[in-house]
Amino acid sequence: MEWFIYILNGLYYASTIFLISLGLNIILGVMGILNLAHGSLYAIGAFTAAWLITSLAGWNSPDVLSFIILLGGAILAGFVGLLLERTLISPLYNRALEYQLLITFGALLLFEDLIKIVWGGEAYYASKPFDILGKVDLSGNIYPIYFLLVIVIAIVVKLLTWLFLARTRVGIMLRAMSLDIEMATALGLQINRLRTWAFVLGAALAGLAGALVAPTTPVLLGFGMEPLILAFVVVVIGGLGSLKGAFIGSLIVGEIRSFGIVIFPEIELAILYLIAAIILVIKPEGLFGRIKS
Amino acid sequence: MEKTRRDFIKIAGGAAIGAGTLLSGCREEEEKVVEKRGEIPKEPVKIAAVSFLTGVAAAPFGIPGNNTFEMLSEKINADGGIMGRKIELLSKDEAGGVDAQVKLARKLILDDKVDVILGYISSADCKAVLPLSDELGDLIVAYDCGTQELMEGSHSPFPVPKYELGFRTAATLGLDNIGLALMIKKYFPDIKRIAGINPDYAWGRDSWSIFEESMKKLMPQVEVVGTWWPPLFTTDYTAHISALIGAAPDIVHTAFWGGDAVTFTKQALGLGLFDKMTVAYSRGEPIPQEIGKDFPENQIIGCAGPHYFLYPPQDKWPLNKQFVDEYQKKYGKYPTYPCYHAYQAIYSYKAAVEKAGSLTGGWPTVDEVADAMTGLAIQTPSGNITIRADHNAIEDGLFGFTKLTSKYPFPILDPERIEVFPTFVVNPPVGIRTVDWINSW
Repeated sequence: MEWFIYILNGLYYASTIFLISLGLNIILGVMGILNLAHGSLYAIGAFTAAWLITSLAGWNSPDVLSFIILLGGAILAGFVGLLLERTLISPLYNRALEYQLLITFGALLLFEDLIKIVWGGEAYYASKPFDILGKVDLSGNIYPIYFLLVIVIAIVVKLLTWLFLARTRVGIMLRAMSLDIEMATALGLQINRLRTWAFVLGAALAGLAGALVAPTTPVLLGFGMEPLILAFVVVVIGGLGSLKGAFIGSLIVGEIRSFGIVIFPEIELAILYLIAAIILVIKPEGLFGRIKS
Repeated sequence: MEKTRRDFIKIAGGAAIGAGTLLSGCREEEEKVVEKRGEIPKEPVKIAAVSFLTGVAAAPFGIPGNNTFEMLSEKINADGGIMGRKIELLSKDEAGGVDAQVKLARKLILDDKVDVILGYISSADCKAVLPLSDELGDLIVAYDCGTQELMEGSHSPFPVPKYELGFRTAATLGLDNIGLALMIKKYFPDIKRIAGINPDYAWGRDSWSIFEESMKKLMPQVEVVGTWWPPLFTTDYTAHISALIGAAPDIVHTAFWGGDAVTFTKQALGLGLFDKMTVAYSRGEPIPQEIGKDFPENQIIGCAGPHYFLYPPQDKWPLNKQFVDEYQKKYGKYPTYPCYHAYQAIYSYKAAVEKAGSLTGGWPTVDEVADAMTGLAIQTPSGNITIRADHNAIEDGLFGFTKLTSKYPFPILDPERIEVFPTFVVNPPVGIRTVDWINSW
């Protein structure tokens, strides 16, 4: 039954990567912005959550509060996303790609320093939600319940996002924008407001991912770099601007990593990029990409 | 024997003193030169202390190390300083990478004119900065970094010292990993399978290779069933932990530290790894205190030398009791091995200056301090250290098993199963590379 645990590990990893790449993909698909500072929004979510949990530790608060408080990470990341979009990103919509890369990379460096100023240079340990949920015995294999919770949350977020994009008025407008921005403008959609909402949503999803990871590991400077790169791998595999692509891409990345580490431990990093390269060669637009190269 | 610059100065200095005595009364000028040797400057002695004050290595190593430098400088100053000179401590951040550290060291020596740099937790920083000692003519003392390569040559036997003015006042990672192998041979003589999970950079690779070589010599029947190399600062070890459980070794070797050690241990607890195997942490001494009572019992812990707040037993070795009490009173935690390493660095420097000064009668030159430091032996809270001709200190190696008691909020080393391996068992002879020494067993 070891395989069962390997699959679960892959699902857990896929869950956090999915939340990050979903946000990245919405911003990229709807707005055409390649946001290199996306990893920083993830880090902000993680630091906020870890800081809130450690601050709560002194009080005699009910256990459930330490879960609800994780949402603080998503909310603050969304708010920072709002500020970022209004100040640095919005002037970029009609500019060439290199401006976006320069500005968002600059924002990434800025955020690293801001995090250092706000939360200091030390690591935050906030494992309370992970600890209090404990473990479960799955037919002889012990597994932390918190990881299962993260998997469930990712699936719920995926369903909610799908409902939002497919069934709500704003969701339909966002999809219209991503398909044909000129026509959407001509039909009188408030493009700028929609862009802001899309960016805030993407940022909040990254923040949620960071907040969910925070109880499983000390949060430290540079926290956002690895997930940012992996989210790009997911986007490359799954295809730009596709919800399904982000979902399937994350699953592929998560499971390849999990099984790769078991079967080919010496090349745990290389194997992911190898698969991404193969997919790019065979299907340059990604598995579910709509943007033809 | 090849004459070094220091030998030349010694001879020249001796000749000058001799000549001065002979000619005293004849020529006043000569006399003044001799008198000057006896002078001790009024201004404070400038000591730069370089440790990680920000970043991931700050909480586990840099801040405890720097705390200790500050605490001991105050103590030395309160007791009258070094040969009457107060210490002016310049605490600097080791963050920023190798290039930044080389620049900082140049600035400290050339602009700030420090008397000595005591520093460096990262082996990469040690390797980059120590050559500056001879280049710029100032004393640099590595206090915590572990790579055995720092003072070793490319083949055995290698000429010593590698740097005339560069020292390390602690043992290498050779001690940590040879000691773990000895520990396993003693307590698990019948095991068949081992595995390793180590961070994928020089520290992890070097630690595993010394451990693996030692195991091959000490327990040739043991099979390596897998090695895992997650990148530094991995946040999700679940796949590695499940793979380890699948590979079913008896013992897992790891050189994880700081956040990685915490993440790995917590997630391994969640996945039930400790029910199935024992983990051997090469420099694990600070980790139980970081994690608290959740840290599993019966795991093997190395102490980067003989450094532990309960060893040597405080009732037998008052210096340890005094150090632990002072540190705990001031910072609210028990000192960890970087604290003991910081103690060794600053007191080695103090002892060397005083030894050289007692010979020359005045404040010694950099070369005279270096001379006095070679072969120096001092008492420390952990017992004693000796700095050998290769300018590297050797120490005993302390290892043990974790055990939860009612007295401390984290597992301590079980007093019934503490092992201290003597220096000559865990440190190679002068001039012999660690790997060559192991292979010669």
